[in-house]
Amino acid sequence: MSLKRGIALRLFAFNVLLLFLPMAGMLYLDVYEEGLLTSQERSMVQQARLVGAAMSTAAAFDAATADAMLRAVERGDARVRVYDSTGTLLADSNRVGIPEPPAAEAKTYPAATVSTRAKVVYRLGAWIARGRDALARWTPRVSGKRPISLDADAGGAGPALPVTAALQGRYGAATRLTPGQRSLTLSSAVPIRRDGRVVGAVLVSQSTYRVLQALYRVRLRIFEVILGSIAAAALLTAMAAATVVRPLRRLRREAAALAERRDRLPGRFLDADRKDEIGDLARALQELTRRLDELIRDAERFASDVSHEFKNPLASIRAAAEMTSQSDDPADRARFLSMLMKDVDRLEQLVSGVRELARIDTQLQQEPLESIDPAALAAEVIDGLRVGYGNSPEMKLEVRGGRCGVRATASRLVQALENVLANARSVAPPDSTIDIVLHTEGRECILEVADRGPGIPPAHLERVFERFFSYRPGTSRNSAHAGLGLAIARSIVQGYGGRIAARNRDGGGAVFEIRLPCEAAPFPEAMQQDRHPLRL
Amino acid sequence: MDGQRTIAVVEDEATIREAVCFALRREGYAPDAFDDGLAAWQAFERVLPDVAILDIGLPRMDGLELCRKLRTRSQTLPIIFVTSREEEFDRVLGLEIGADDYLCKPFSMRELMARVKVLLRRASLTPASAATDEDAIVTVRGLVLDPLRLSATWQGTPVPLTVTEFLLLLALARRPGIVKTRDQLMEAAYPERVSVTDRTIDSHIKRIRRKFQTADRTFNALESVYGAGYRYNEPPE
Repeated sequence: MSLKRGIALRLFAFNVLLLFLPMAGMLYLDVYEEGLLTSQERSMVQQARLVGAAMSTAAAFDAATADAMLRAVERGDARVRVYDSTGTLLADSNRVGIPEPPAAEAKTYPAATVSTRAKVVYRLGAWIARGRDALARWTPRVSGKRPISLDADAGGAGPALPVTAALQGRYGAATRLTPGQRSLTLSSAVPIRRDGRVVGAVLVSQSTYRVLQALYRVRLRIFEVILGSIAAAALLTAMAAATVVRPLRRLRREAAALAERRDRLPGRFLDADRKDEIGDLARALQELTRRLDELIRDAERFASDVSHEFKNPLASIRAAAEMTSQSDDPADRARFLSMLMKDVDRLEQLVSGVRELARIDTQLQQEPLESIDPAALAAEVIDGLRVGYGNSPEMKLEVRGGRCGVRATASRLVQALENVLANARSVAPPDSTIDIVLHTEGRECILEVADRGPGIPPAHLERVFERFFSYRPGTSRNSAHAGLGLAIARSIVQGYGGRIAARNRDGGGAVFEIRLPCEAAPFPEAMQQDRHPLRL
Repeated sequence: MDGQRTIAVVEDEATIREAVCFALRREGYAPDAFDDGLAAWQAFERVLPDVAILDIGLPRMDGLELCRKLRTRSQTLPIIFVTSREEEFDRVLGLEIGADDYLCKPFSMRELMARVKVLLRRASLTPASAATDEDAIVTVRGLVLDPLRLSATWQGTPVPLTVTEFLLLLALARRPGIVKTRDQLMEAAYPERVSVTDRTIDSHIKRIRRKFQTADRTFNALESVYGAGYRYNEPPE
């Protein structure tokens, strides 16, 4: 797998992007921390109030009572201190012999601290988090953090700020760094009132150690999940690259080999057997090269056919010229000269026919299409042929049923029809009839040209439309039949999305059938009057 | 050798047919012209010509079919093909259908006349015919070439060659070990030299090799000398 460029890299990026949400969640666990701290503070205040309430209703307000009170209170891991109105410490839960929280728990915490924060994975996460913090320093913070006071009350030298506030009858709170620790110590103080007078204060202080521990564990877990996810993303990317990128690169290599002529056409693509989109692509490429190969072969065949077709008139011309030069008899010379001229004519016809055939496909695509009424067009072509060549053999046009228009270029359709008719005229006996029938079948307009000529052997029914194919039993090749007329007609009809076919006719002769797609629904019979012969 | 020889010309190109007949008549032969294969075959069934000149693409019965039928009547009748498609001839290989020679269109009339003469002479050979130096039998180890009969044998096995192929091989085998250029070979095989390309010589050589290899798969005496031409190597005994 190459991550240097392309799809593999993008896949990896997308996969990793998916991890941004949990990652952001880890980095912004502060909100969660804030919530934990608030609830911790609330429970501390609650505890202070309870102690305060107990003290205010106690028999006496002195150190012994306070001491007894603290001893009675289930302490948790908060430190509770009771001050009198002068701010003198009366009792301290740390100094009374009250029972410690369960030993196991107490011992676990420090151990957990070390193990969680010392983990390599955690340190990696912390390193990233520091990066985040460094970044954060550049952006002014909106969310106010709890102010941290650095004033000490550890030694108990004097009452802490919150106590002072509480003695004045207010709620006092402070946050300070626990010396030598990352955790903070929160302190909350509430006044103790007896008979409506403030007689002292209860100070509850607790380290955020527990909160931080919980936070560390959550962070570590999330970070582990993220690391695992990144590994999974890398693995998935590698797999995706293996199934997508590698075959694509192989396809590219195979295609390049063809383009650079290192491989032979038609190309064979290894992935063509796959059933997925890569397989589709490979098959499409394979089909493309097959088509290309076909076109090249067609061009080669065309060149070969053309050179072959040119050789006959050339051989004739050469033979006639040789004989003309060798003959002393003026009559012979005249005869060979006239043959020579005829062959030159033939060669010229051949050249223009070949040119026509070679260009017809591209020309058909460039010529403007129009709506044509085939019946009117057939009638015009037949009239023209009658004027030009007489009506022998006789041509009869019959239009059956509804008519429809076709989209084509009139002059091209005339050319196709002329070629088919010329073919029929060339094989039909002079006193016979050529029947031209036009009808509509479904969405197709069908034009049939039926002659009473010799017909076509079944083996040649397809081949008559091949270029240079000329099947004319009993006639010499020397006539003007280069075998291009029907080939040109087929190119035109196919160019308009139609088909042309030949079959033998009952009672002798051949039928040429041209099918062209109807432009719209067939015209109703009534609408067929007063129509312009060519255009609709 | 007296009496006019009948040469059948089966060709649907009127000009070529007439010109060939005209040329044959000038050479003192009696041409018999046909413009389709079937008519020719119907005539041949009654009486065979001395030489048949056939086009390949013919109406009703093509030249190859006609040739095959002619061979059922006579194994020795000289048959010359005139074709505009060399590759077509390559495919059917004149040998399988038993042609003696072929010319590609457009061809020179004199060339055709020369072929007719060679083939007639071979056909009219009597065992006692006097042989000139030119006609002396050439023997190179396993190869025996008889210029009079235009026959070739390889280690006793007859190898059927067309006239052109025979002339090419003869030119090479007369000077074993000496390289002949394509031009020299053309000169030998096509005395009238018309529209013969180097490629033509190459495909003739290829065909000769193939024919000999049919007789003996180890035959490799015809050697290509790149850039120069060909040479006939004396094969090791």
